[in-house]
Amino acid sequence: MAYAYYPGCTAHGLSKDIDIATKKVFETLGLKLDEVKDWNCCGGGFYDEYDEVGHVALNLRNLSIVEKMGYQKMVTPCSVCLQSHRLATHKYKENKDLKKEVDDRIKGTSVSYSGSAQAEHIVWVLVRDVGLQKIKERIKRQLTGLKVGAYYGCQMLRPEEIMGFEPAFNPHSMEDLIRVTGATPVSFKAAKSCCGFPLMGSNPKVGLRLAYGVLKSAKEEQADIIIHPCSLCHLQLDNLQLRIKAEFNVNWVVPAIYVTQLLGLAFGFSPEELGISKLAQEVLASRGIV
Amino acid sequence: MSLKNEEAEVIIKVKRYTQEKGFYWQEYKLKVDRFTQFTEALRRIKSEQDPTLAYRASCHMAVCGSCGMKINGEPKLACKTLVLDVIKKYGSNVITIEPMDYFKPVKDLVVDLDDFYNRMHKVKPRLYPSNEVLEGKAEHRLKPEDQKVLWKFAQCIWCGLCVSACPAVQEDPEFLGPAAHAKGFRFLADPRDTITEERLKILIDSAWRCTYCYMCYNVCPRDIEPVTAIKKTRAFSRLAKDKTEVIKTGEKHTEAVHSSIFDSGKIMGSRVYLSTYGLLGSMKEMIFLMQSGKLKYALVKEKAVENIQEVRKLLRG
Repeated sequence: MAYAYYPGCTAHGLSKDIDIATKKVFETLGLKLDEVKDWNCCGGGFYDEYDEVGHVALNLRNLSIVEKMGYQKMVTPCSVCLQSHRLATHKYKENKDLKKEVDDRIKGTSVSYSGSAQAEHIVWVLVRDVGLQKIKERIKRQLTGLKVGAYYGCQMLRPEEIMGFEPAFNPHSMEDLIRVTGATPVSFKAAKSCCGFPLMGSNPKVGLRLAYGVLKSAKEEQADIIIHPCSLCHLQLDNLQLRIKAEFNVNWVVPAIYVTQLLGLAFGFSPEELGISKLAQEVLASRGIV
Repeated sequence: MSLKNEEAEVIIKVKRYTQEKGFYWQEYKLKVDRFTQFTEALRRIKSEQDPTLAYRASCHMAVCGSCGMKINGEPKLACKTLVLDVIKKYGSNVITIEPMDYFKPVKDLVVDLDDFYNRMHKVKPRLYPSNEVLEGKAEHRLKPEDQKVLWKFAQCIWCGLCVSACPAVQEDPEFLGPAAHAKGFRFLADPRDTITEERLKILIDSAWRCTYCYMCYNVCPRDIEPVTAIKKTRAFSRLAKDKTEVIKTGEKHTEAVHSSIFDSGKIMGSRVYLSTYGLLGSMKEMIFLMQSGKLKYALVKEKAVENIQEVRKLLRG
């Protein structure tokens, strides 16, 4: 099986480890990730406030290339890229005035979107298309004893009617994937709360408070680490882990790794091969996982 | 069995509250059919089983906004939610009902909405017409295309569900909250209104305090999309005077993202960091990245879009 693959800017930049781990996991499962040719940025979740027509046009360009490549599913590891593409196609379909403006904008370019290609999340493909049983068959290292917080964040779940994979207030895909690895899933109060990343560009003080709230909530339920489904949550919850520790004057960390980094560990890859942060490596070592 | 004949026995667990006892749970059992709304279930509990149960409901048709509460953890209007639908969605006949989060509890499912109303009134939720109109020398005229923009955001019924679910409101007292922004934008963008400058003063700083989590979009029973109103409000940011630090940082960041996409077709993380936070702020982040062993990714150089001219054509120049 093959999928068009849209890494997004962050998974090719500061969250490169997500791209590395995702490719390894898909290869192990015998799935091909065919990177979208000459893809462009989706607008990072807020370009629509700057230029709504341009935002839709940018996302249609990617999906138009996907259609030309002969795929219907464009999988992405980033919840923000996922939501950006799905909101764009939703608006293009529902808002006739906006559609007209977008059609004017794409006139004379190579962009032509028929509506057949749609963005999908890596997690959805793993749970629904690949299936938990097939993932289980590839497990080489049981992560027994590791308590893993299942964090969903915002964009993979909301708006529910546009994301459509699982109920926004009652999701279980992340817990299902944790269970397959032999680790113990930990549900916590802030699992569906915002990590605060979108605020880092305007009001970082509150952005960090939101991130701290997520980590603290996972800590209260005794999670060793958390897994998440988003390149931008990765910037916030993993890359800023030490800043959060210093800012809130706490003596603990709850490292945040990407969902395919956890699966990669269970498939037998080393933390280094998966680009896992030093902090997470220390926790994994202390629990006897690596 | 036809839908009309569907019935089920349900256990409704209500999170109750009194000042004396604090919070406690109480269970009620009743039979529901296809047409039983939660307001009807609560009415029957109150009149047939327990007159001490307190809740608010009025119109029973998703217009008055009185019956906001959490049903199985989801912020919902009790009148717009059918008991059997929830049983089906969750695959369980046991359902929890709780008061809305964030607001101070008064009794059982009734919460104090003063804070919510204060937020709504802060944005001056009424039209300020021109003197000519007030003196009867002119008429209020609104073009259909302008009305189209405003219509969605005018549908708010002041139920408070979006505010109760908003994480930014809980962390930031200076954020007005989703409902107030929907209402504020409805007047900010109204060409008949005359106090635009004052509205900008009230709305812009707050608009940059939204975290775009889409919770308000998800829970709104009227499909208003308050987050969209906030995004559209930010488009007015450049017209605002006396900009706060939050506004300045936000504008700088958005501009950095735009110019990165315009130049390369992608967001180059390090460049956007530098433009938004300056050299000193970015250096601080680099130190933390280095300590966690992730600095190498900050140095990854992503290739630009080959057909960059096409990307530029898609963007507003």
